[in-house]
Amino acid sequence: MIDWYAANSVVIQATMATLLLALSIQLPLRMGVFSFAGVGCFGIGGYTAAIAFTQFDMGTWPSVALGTVLAGVLCYLLGLIVHKLTGLYLGMATIAFTLIVAVVATNGGSMTGGASGIFGALGGITNLHVLILLAVVVVGLAVSEYGRFGRKIDTVREDPELAVALGINVARYRKMTFLASGLIGGLAGAVTTLLRSTITPAEINFHLVVVALTVIIIGGSSSWLGALIGAVVITWLPTVLSFVADWEPIIYGFVVALAAIFLPGGVLGLVKDLMRRRRSGSGTAPPASDAAVTSNDGPTAPEPSRTPVPSQGGAL
Amino acid sequence: MSSPWNDSGETPMIFEADDVAVHFGGVKAVDGLSFGLPEGKIVGILGPNGSGKSTLVGAITRHVPLTRGTLRFLGEDYGSDRAHLVPHRGIARTFQTVRLLEERTVLENVLLGTDSLVGGGRDERRRAHERAQVAMQRTGCEHLAKERPDELSYGNRRRVEIARAIAMEPKLLLVDEPTAGMGRAEKEEVSALMMSLRAEGLTQLIVEHDVQMMVDTCDILLAMNFGKLIVEGDPREVVRNPAVQEAYLGKQAVKHA
Repeated sequence: MIDWYAANSVVIQATMATLLLALSIQLPLRMGVFSFAGVGCFGIGGYTAAIAFTQFDMGTWPSVALGTVLAGVLCYLLGLIVHKLTGLYLGMATIAFTLIVAVVATNGGSMTGGASGIFGALGGITNLHVLILLAVVVVGLAVSEYGRFGRKIDTVREDPELAVALGINVARYRKMTFLASGLIGGLAGAVTTLLRSTITPAEINFHLVVVALTVIIIGGSSSWLGALIGAVVITWLPTVLSFVADWEPIIYGFVVALAAIFLPGGVLGLVKDLMRRRRSGSGTAPPASDAAVTSNDGPTAPEPSRTPVPSQGGAL
Repeated sequence: MSSPWNDSGETPMIFEADDVAVHFGGVKAVDGLSFGLPEGKIVGILGPNGSGKSTLVGAITRHVPLTRGTLRFLGEDYGSDRAHLVPHRGIARTFQTVRLLEERTVLENVLLGTDSLVGGGRDERRRAHERAQVAMQRTGCEHLAKERPDELSYGNRRRVEIARAIAMEPKLLLVDEPTAGMGRAEKEEVSALMMSLRAEGLTQLIVEHDVQMMVDTCDILLAMNFGKLIVEGDPREVVRNPAVQEAYLGKQAVKHA
């Protein structure tokens, strides 16, 4: 076990970083907000933490905090401007935001290190630290999937007009999701950078949007669990596929395409569908047996798969 | 029933619209309507397709911006409220097409009616559950609590939607075509439900095509055409009015009547 961990420590690290990044995109998608700003925030968080750490001699955690908060604030301000956009237009506006971050990083002179980026920003972060931060984020997101908060978020996504008629402040939900997405993306960037000691403009470019979307499409967009499944698949697939050598990118592409076509709810959606089918198949008799369990609106309430935005994502 | 219209002068108005207009560019969907909803009465709006009924409901809930006019609820002008605040004032609505969360159970859909209006404390959540239970019983869908809406018949989906609105415990309920696509027996159930809600003092505004149901259910009818009010008053008199018959029922119906 310890040998296995030592051998795969870097991949585990990458899995956690990828998961954090994917969560920053998944949260807005769950609210029906088609925003990729979380990726730009990854860059903001990473660069801010690296600059604070190397040029202002700030400690590891103050640097991480600064990167996280700055990314959150900038993303919130972006949200104030663009939250009324929807669909492709919002997607384009937030991709533009992400590209602008990369351009600023490239042209930031000695501050950002230009095209070669920043080196030597090795903070005192261990995998355990990342795991703890990740757990905090995941618990927060998991809470937002259940009970009345989860229902309200679902309504904001599925039918904003209905949400308003039920008294939900949809505009506020949409703006707050930019803040949360920015914080998570910024945290992901700051932690990843100080863990790996470098960040370059090439790392925070459009391909990162593709990675985050791929994770969500493969795993499922409805729950953090889907993002976890997707992150594991995406980071471990190249390792598993290493035996096919040069064919790896092609096979990787096929896996993603097949997931987009045949698993509209991702792997998680497939599993939930199968579980529901088994339940309804075996128990056409009264579902009253689990009535006591499901009669509250807590975490035990049935949580079926949803297939909302990824069809849009697949089109991109 | 004795004509409630006659004593509406003494019944306080829970809602008042004054010179309300909604124009979309050159289209005058609603064009200068003034009317009141007497507390505890059922008021119906009749009108052909495109006469502005649904736009009017949208205007009352602040979904559709007013071109001019004022809206008063419980004596307060709420014409500048943002739409999500209207339910907090005690105005609930149902939609022309049933709108439910298909991936959530019936119980959860009904609970949605309470989610934004009731606090998150333990006692408040328990009360919200009680409200949802009562609403489901009243609409006859409590046995469906664990089902998913996409597995239900149209009539039952409508029940769930009405239950969700009742769970909001509104003071004014706006009902947009509640019986569209329902059979006669189901329509009568909906009508009976509305009358039982009236017996508890709930004011209701109904938009509906079924003239017979409107006459049976409503205390007052308003007839609209081209965004204007053409007649209002006792339901039986309104449907006999020649202007209404021509606008809404067409000339053929005039002959049959």
